[in-house]
Amino acid sequence: MKIKAIAFNTFKEAIRDRILYLLLFFAAVCIIFSRLLALLTVGDKVKIIKDVGLSSLSLFGALMAILMGTGLVFKEIDKKTIYTIISKPIHRYQFLLGKFFGLVLTLFIMLLLMSFIFLALVFFHTFTIEWGMFIAILFIFFELCLITSVALLFSCFSTPILSSIFSLAFYLIGHTAWGIETLIKKIPPGAGKTLAQFLYHFLPDLENFNFKTEIVQHLDIPSDVYLYSILYGIFYTLFVLIIAVLIFRKRDFI
Amino acid sequence: MRTMKRFKSEKDFSTIFLVVLLILSCGIFMSLKVKTDNISRKKIPGSSIIYIPSGQYLKFATFGNSSLLADLIYVWAIQYYSDYTIPDMYEYLDHIFSIINELDPSYLDPYDTGAVIAAYEAEDLDLALKILDRGLEKNPEQWLFPYMAAHYAQMIKKDHKLAQEYYKKAMNIEEVPPIVERLYANAIFKSMDYKRALQTWLEIYKTAKDERIKKIASNHLYNITATIDIQKINEAIEKFKESYGRNPMELSQLVRAGFLDSLPKDLDGKEYIYDSQTGEVKTPTIPWKR
Repeated sequence: MKIKAIAFNTFKEAIRDRILYLLLFFAAVCIIFSRLLALLTVGDKVKIIKDVGLSSLSLFGALMAILMGTGLVFKEIDKKTIYTIISKPIHRYQFLLGKFFGLVLTLFIMLLLMSFIFLALVFFHTFTIEWGMFIAILFIFFELCLITSVALLFSCFSTPILSSIFSLAFYLIGHTAWGIETLIKKIPPGAGKTLAQFLYHFLPDLENFNFKTEIVQHLDIPSDVYLYSILYGIFYTLFVLIIAVLIFRKRDFI
Repeated sequence: MRTMKRFKSEKDFSTIFLVVLLILSCGIFMSLKVKTDNISRKKIPGSSIIYIPSGQYLKFATFGNSSLLADLIYVWAIQYYSDYTIPDMYEYLDHIFSIINELDPSYLDPYDTGAVIAAYEAEDLDLALKILDRGLEKNPEQWLFPYMAAHYAQMIKKDHKLAQEYYKKAMNIEEVPPIVERLYANAIFKSMDYKRALQTWLEIYKTAKDERIKKIASNHLYNITATIDIQKINEAIEKFKESYGRNPMELSQLVRAGFLDSLPKDLDGKEYIYDSQTGEVKTPTIPWKR
């Protein structure tokens, strides 16, 4: 109940933030701009619209999660509102989880709005509802949940600017860490290879939530991968949230 | 006091619980990573790049980091073209390398590499020449591009006239090594323009600064004059055969029968070797072993 109350409060607070609407506006512009970009291509125009649209959802969703998530806890400390909360009979993990779910709810609503614009644009071109798109969007949502947890983690001990940089780095690493596999093949056996192998498995692999190309190109996706990707997202988010809780518990506000 | 103690032990317990949960979740997501890696997902390698319109426009989106993007795409392209399991991998070869060339026109390696892949892997010589032409257009001081193009034209396409054009382009660039002129002369010889080949090799012989080059030029001159002479002798032998129905017993018979004005001798003043049984005429020494 306490988590729910904090979550709804965070949601109410988040939807009042102007930056959210600014990002939503730019996301909408990008999605609509894909129609103009499609005019420049030779061949399948809908493919360009889908590619740009899904990438916009992912990118602007990540920006929303980072820019809002990094200020979540910091703002409470900065404005000293945290004193009124922690003086109540509430555990710190409840406070953090409430913040997390509140922002996840906000992102869910924003993703719904962006998806509506995007799917409407696709529908006006194809006159069919492509259900595959929903899968791609669902996994974008899982990705956003993980990024939110990371932003929240950094928000527990750092300033919003630094937290934003760290979270953005996490996002970039998450989408490029697969390159370590190529590096592993080239490194001779030894400590360097073991370290590279550890990093490869430990660093976030956000490509696990990236089904954009396969969905747009109508490629077959093994059903197992959906399940494992969801579980991967859940456990990675849990891992990050536990670190956030452990750090937040150690913080002294008085 | 008791409440404080209880609270502390509760906190300790929850910390241990959280640490255990942390390790557990880390282990689980790492094993899930292995699991998802083992599931083969269909990929379209390069799908992300083939829709990029052109390096010219892409340059604006790099905010002054076009060289960096060129490096990244080049590194990616090397990995991409090292994987021979990708079907139709050469379809976008020109597009990919043109993006790199547009992003960083003075980055020389991609021209060489792109041309090598096009010539030897994709077996598309026209594309290799196109990439090298682009390299020369953007880097007019680089003799290596027309030199490589000439090499491909001569060795793969066997188009010696085209090779001459490229060698000539390379020769017009400063700091071109002297070997290019010799290759140019050789391409003229290969195109069977013996007169021009003779003139060019003579020029090389006259302007050569060291004895080694003089020797090489001399051997080529020997070879060309021998080729011209042997061609002339062979024509005379053919005429002799038409008149007498047999090969001449010796070459001097060609002069006596009026098919040759005089019997040509090689550049060293030695007579050509003639086999009356086969009608074959050879040089008395191998041109390259003089």
